[in-house]
Amino acid sequence: MLKEKYQAEIDEILSRYPVKRSALLPLLYLAQREEGYVTEAAMQEIAGILKLTPPQVYETATFYTMLNLKPVGRFHLQVCKSLMCALVGSDTVIGWIGTKLGIKPGETTQDKLFTLSIVECLAACGTGPMMQVNDDYYERLTEEKLDRILADLRQTGTCSLKTGPFMWPEPAAAKSGA
Amino acid sequence: MKTYEPILLKNMIQPGYAGSLPEYERAGGYQALRKVLGKVTPAEVTAVVMKSGLRGRGGAGFPTGVKWGFLPKDYQGPRYLCCNADESEPGTFKDRQLIERDPHQLLEGMLLACYAIGAASSYIYIRGEFVLGAKILEAAIKEARAAGYVGKNILGTGVSIDIWVHRGAGAYICGEETALLESLEGKRGLPRVKPPFPATHGLYNKPTVVNNVETLANLPHIMNRGAEWFASIGSPPKSTGTRVFCVSGHVARPGNYEVPMGITFRELIYEQAGGMRSDKKLKAFIPGGASAPFLTPDHLDVKLDFESVALAGSMLGSGGVTVMEEGTDMVWAALRLMEFFYHESCGKCSPCREGSSWLVQIMRRIVNKRGRMEDLETLTDLCKNIAGRTVCAFGDAEVSPILSTLKHWRHEYVTMIHAAEAANLIRPEPAGAKH
Amino acid sequence: MPDQKPETVRLTIDGTTVAVPKGTLVIEAARRVGVMIPHFCYHPKLKPDANCRMCLVEVEKMPKLQTACSTPVAEGMAVRTATTTVDDAHKSVLEFILANHPLDCPVCDQGGKCDLQDFSHQYTPTTSRFTETKRIFQKEYFSPLIETQMNRCVQCLRCVRYCDEIMDVKALAPVGRGTMTEIKHFGPHELDCEFCGGCIQICPVGAITSRLSMYEYRPWMLKRADTICTFCGDGCRITVQTKGNELIEVNSSHGAGRNNGDLCARGFFGFHASTHADRLTHPLIRRDGVLVQATWEDALEYVAEQALRVKLANGPDAFGGLISSRCTNEDLYVFQKFMRQVIGTNRIDSSARYGHLSGVGALQRVQGTHRWTIAFEDIVAANALLLVGTNITETSPITGLKVKEAVKKRQASLVTIESLEPAVDTLSNIANLATQHFSAHPAQIGNNVLGLIKAVIDGNLVDAGLAEQSPAFVQRLSAATQQISWDTLETATGHTRAQWAETAKLLAAAKRVVILVGNGVLRHPGGEGTTTNLLDLLILLGKLNQPGCGLGPLAEENNDQGAVEMGAVPEFLPGPAPLNDQAARDRLASLWREELPRTPGISLTEMLAAANSGSLKAMFVVGENPIGTLPTGAKAKEALGKLELLVCQELFLTETAAMAHVVLPACSYMEKDGTFTNSEGHVQAVRQTINPIGDSRPDWEMLSAISVLMGSPLEYGDAREILKEIRSVIPGYGLLGPTPTSPKVDQPILSRYLAEDASTDMASRYALRQAPKSSETSLTLLFTQTLFHSGKLSTHSKGLLQLQQEGFLSLNPVDAAKVGVADGEKVTVSNARGSITTIAKIRERVPAGLVWFPEHFDGEAKQLAEWTIDPRTQIPYFKLAHVSLAKVS
Ligand SMILES: Cc1cc2nc3c(=O)[nH]c(=O)nc-3n(C[C@H](O)[C@H](O)[C@H](O)COP(=O)(O)O)c2cc1C
Ligand code: SF4
Ligand code: FES
Repeated sequence: MLKEKYQAEIDEILSRYPVKRSALLPLLYLAQREEGYVTEAAMQEIAGILKLTPPQVYETATFYTMLNLKPVGRFHLQVCKSLMCALVGSDTVIGWIGTKLGIKPGETTQDKLFTLSIVECLAACGTGPMMQVNDDYYERLTEEKLDRILADLRQTGTCSLKTGPFMWPEPAAAKSGA
Repeated sequence: MKTYEPILLKNMIQPGYAGSLPEYERAGGYQALRKVLGKVTPAEVTAVVMKSGLRGRGGAGFPTGVKWGFLPKDYQGPRYLCCNADESEPGTFKDRQLIERDPHQLLEGMLLACYAIGAASSYIYIRGEFVLGAKILEAAIKEARAAGYVGKNILGTGVSIDIWVHRGAGAYICGEETALLESLEGKRGLPRVKPPFPATHGLYNKPTVVNNVETLANLPHIMNRGAEWFASIGSPPKSTGTRVFCVSGHVARPGNYEVPMGITFRELIYEQAGGMRSDKKLKAFIPGGASAPFLTPDHLDVKLDFESVALAGSMLGSGGVTVMEEGTDMVWAALRLMEFFYHESCGKCSPCREGSSWLVQIMRRIVNKRGRMEDLETLTDLCKNIAGRTVCAFGDAEVSPILSTLKHWRHEYVTMIHAAEAANLIRPEPAGAKH
Repeated sequence: MPDQKPETVRLTIDGTTVAVPKGTLVIEAARRVGVMIPHFCYHPKLKPDANCRMCLVEVEKMPKLQTACSTPVAEGMAVRTATTTVDDAHKSVLEFILANHPLDCPVCDQGGKCDLQDFSHQYTPTTSRFTETKRIFQKEYFSPLIETQMNRCVQCLRCVRYCDEIMDVKALAPVGRGTMTEIKHFGPHELDCEFCGGCIQICPVGAITSRLSMYEYRPWMLKRADTICTFCGDGCRITVQTKGNELIEVNSSHGAGRNNGDLCARGFFGFHASTHADRLTHPLIRRDGVLVQATWEDALEYVAEQALRVKLANGPDAFGGLISSRCTNEDLYVFQKFMRQVIGTNRIDSSARYGHLSGVGALQRVQGTHRWTIAFEDIVAANALLLVGTNITETSPITGLKVKEAVKKRQASLVTIESLEPAVDTLSNIANLATQHFSAHPAQIGNNVLGLIKAVIDGNLVDAGLAEQSPAFVQRLSAATQQISWDTLETATGHTRAQWAETAKLLAAAKRVVILVGNGVLRHPGGEGTTTNLLDLLILLGKLNQPGCGLGPLAEENNDQGAVEMGAVPEFLPGPAPLNDQAARDRLASLWREELPRTPGISLTEMLAAANSGSLKAMFVVGENPIGTLPTGAKAKEALGKLELLVCQELFLTETAAMAHVVLPACSYMEKDGTFTNSEGHVQAVRQTINPIGDSRPDWEMLSAISVLMGSPLEYGDAREILKEIRSVIPGYGLLGPTPTSPKVDQPILSRYLAEDASTDMASRYALRQAPKSSETSLTLLFTQTLFHSGKLSTHSKGLLQLQQEGFLSLNPVDAAKVGVADGEKVTVSNARGSITTIAKIRERVPAGLVWFPEHFDGEAKQLAEWTIDPRTQIPYFKLAHVSLAKVS
């Protein structure tokens, strides 16, 4: 039950909006953070909190691609394949991941570590090819970078190659890898 | 290379600038707010913005001051400002930088806008994938709240304004302002039928203004330096100020470049962005995000302002300039964008919903060497039947890649279809299957 | 009816000038001049969504084509619908809509009545350019009664919008995005909702259809007849579609009837009760203790003979008659005439006794009318609505829709005093829409009304005119309410004086105030008093006489109002006129050419007592089942067992019929003509849709035949002839035209009420109602009406049985936790009178301290009920019990 665990956070979320239903996406995120995906029980509970019917929660939840209604791997690799990234090699990146992890788009590795998804533009068009892994962006991908990212994720759960506060091109004075 | 005075990027390009409140204040931040709150009337702020000629940076280029002026004057209930940080137009990645590198600039802009329109609550609708951006904004709001810039009785002026971050969850259409409002209300992001416009019936049916991040970020500068100053930059009278253009594709130095409106594409691409990435020549470019029709090398001397680009048959849109070199397959490029639009059509309007699935299937067939000559006519026809017949501008946008590539590179389609016919790859399919 | 005249706007449509009210949509204005603009997503009931884009038209000075369904008219607007541009647009939009549509018309139940078929026929060429792959959805089971075929969906969202905007149920979810959007309920779960059938009716294609009639027909094979639903007092117009003598489908078209095309589950899915296999098909006569099949001649002769014998031996007052308010006015009229004229007694009663008479009594006493002074239109146009004990969604769902419309579309304020908690679940909940809600135990409803009246007086909200004209009335009321302190009221009800004060202000400020009173008041002790107090409230606020204001008691049975007006109760002659009204008696006597019986009548409860004591010897029971309806405390079985003659006219062999000496098979509403009078007093035509089942005959016809054999013939050729006679008693009755004007408050009677009558019982009406002592372990069990059934009749309907086929106990989570019972587990419900075991359903809408059990399945449970009789009105109360719960381990 989300309510038992996150009462304070839920209250804070509700306090931001004059109309309860506005808290729906934030609460769905909360549910996804908790279980990795949005479970039916969570949708039911959220409906109760917001005084909505479960179908009202469901219709919203299914509209947005970032809400997973099914379990995904621990690391959700989402590679952008829109034109701008495609121009600079995103299809190649998808190919690499396919060979390295042995999964096709939409699939999860046996060990439930990685799920590969192909997604549309993530607003990193100048620094493609790129992918998002859970909350983090990884940009200007190369095969070496990818290897390191996968290895680091496996080992430490994160990777220092993820993008920090974004600026591109970087100012002449302070160059570092993006 | 010519350099221009940066306005929006000025702070962040300073070495070491991390966008914290003290840094922002040291760079002159929140001076505009101090100058305006309680000292200049909201109507006067609107007048200044109107006079500056500032136009929306989100895509449509609507004059910001005029939009604010549509709010009912005598309405007593709540009003809202929504900052459109959905940044979902392919080719666009400027708002992300403005948010993550100088969040207070945006917040100050929002506070000024709220003050001008009389909004006590405002939301930043940020695309769900910008997790970092949302965190940075939340931290910045916390700082600003602690310093008395946000919240009750700001700077002791009696003005109260709250700002909250609201994350989207993956839907391009939520960048459309009414879909954004629906989404913010916890619903599916389907655009609303207009009229009524958000100015009278917006968030929770209350008077609402939706402005883009970049639009809002300009406000502190306009209030600090005056409408005349702003109006003198760029390509007055209709395209004033700078724009942060996002250059992507086959250039040597892709990235965000802030330049005054009115410089040419040639200058932006060849000087600012370092020209082509290899010795391959430029073949095509998109001047204003995925929704803008493709242009050709013949258009390199077109000026980057609203009117000039429109005159060239495209639009300045969101400022995302995507460059393609010789050898790029234009049918494939159009298909890639069509797939994006198919994936993102919200499904409300039948022409857009059914049309996008139909178009994408024809395009896939052509690219997979199973095209037929009559497909070209069907494509053109379908595109014409979608444009102008939908609730929102998505319908017009989704047909531009196909229509413009058909216009400039029809021979590539034809070649592909001929190749298909020659290879006899077409499975016999009746041309007119019975209903 | 709304009083302000709307502004008009003039525009031209294809050159024709038309003037329409401001705010009219172009598509509606066009319809007025006979121009039909094609559309899918538009529906007059729904807010425009303009999603299908089918209705594009040219509007002068607009650069783009506009959707006629969402564009309001403007002065001087010039619309063109017949240009080539418009025609091309229609063709192209249709081409898009057809692109993904499967062409499975031959196996589609919508085929032949499908908008998509019709428009395609009109617009598209015979070939399609679409040669790509069509979208295909995985077929999923949707619900027991509703079938979806999502491949056929045109995504107009009419179903979803209807479910939300009109029903307030929100059970349908458009799932996914783009072309792959499909209508579902919640994940893989089957639909759980009010099953109003609205989504089926409003779907322009065959994406949502009824499983009850799936694959059974092609529309052109069906015969249709318009009639009136029999399942509640709302009186919905239904269109019954039949194939041969088979009932295939019921629906109702937009604009038709008081329901304006809307229905509830009972109306939409309940029709099969009429053709149930258990229907009685032949007369039965008891021979050697056993009911055996007989011919009509034998049965009727037997009845006539026996009746004459009893009458000769014991006089006419040895007879009693009981009739169901489900019968037509014609049946009711002939029944009371038969009892009064052929038998010669006033000892008749009907099911209106169970509650409807509480409301009628109050109306008559205070305002001199026996029916509403308001109509459904006034509910919709009200500025403030007060619902008291209605449980409106389940009891009067269509009246409920009018309330929802007032609140949701017209921003009316809603005050609810109900034994109900606001909660969201699969049925809509009127308390969710309330501006002010008072959750109340049935015994506290009256106290909440007192609080409200006290707040009006304390808040100086009494109408100035009233205070001037009837100072004594106001004074007496002030004095009466002074007797009760706020503290006692607060303790008793759990509500605060501030809430009453606020509500009083809200009601006083509203121009049009409508009060609806339901079974929660009318079927409980003090019902008439509370209804009278609510009329006092309207008087105090100066609203009783105002246009659009008034109080309406909600009838539970479809013809409760008709039963009263036909005089099928002991206290009234047809009219209704009081039994002792000499002028009325004279008029009837001259019409009937017979003196009317002089001895006063007795009510059902008195009849039972008389039968038990042996003074009542014979009964005619038409469509009523006292043994099945009344709790053991009523001793109905013993009483009826003592009769020398029990004649039952019935559809089924009920518990009562099983004890009869003669059982005569009756026609259901589907098999006869006549009229019903709904809650509001609208008389509406009931029309035969199928031939009588077996040898059954309309109730009036049997009585007529018996009367002939008894030597005092009441002969009528058909129902229309009876209606003609009714009309000569009640002028204008049954003019089946436009809304008859509702009666007005009778000023002299109101004045008399204010001057003297009100004070006769003011002390008792304004005394704090003592709630029964509740202990920690005891809960109040309410026998409630549910949305999926009506009395016991609907329990013969296969469709409704799929929704609810047995009794269950609804209880609040808090009470459930106390007993440690989880949803779906078994509980024992018991008190000194008995004990039953049933399934527990946990529902937040049930107030703590109350539990609900559907009366439709109260067979065994009935024994728990209390049995009390109002000494003045003779209304029996048996919808309540005090029980304790235990989990069955
Ligand atoms: C399909 C569609 C997508 C859009 N996406 C965005 C977006 O991502 N960000 C944005 O600022 N405006 C977007 N817009 C434009 C907004 O509707 C709106 O015009 C803008 O937010 C107004 O702000 P501005 O006046 O400051 O430009 C989009 C419009 C359409 C039709
Ligand atoms: S044009 Fe497309 S994206 Fe816009 S509202 Fe219509 S269906 Fe949705
Ligand atoms: S009927 Fe107008 S858009 Fe559907």
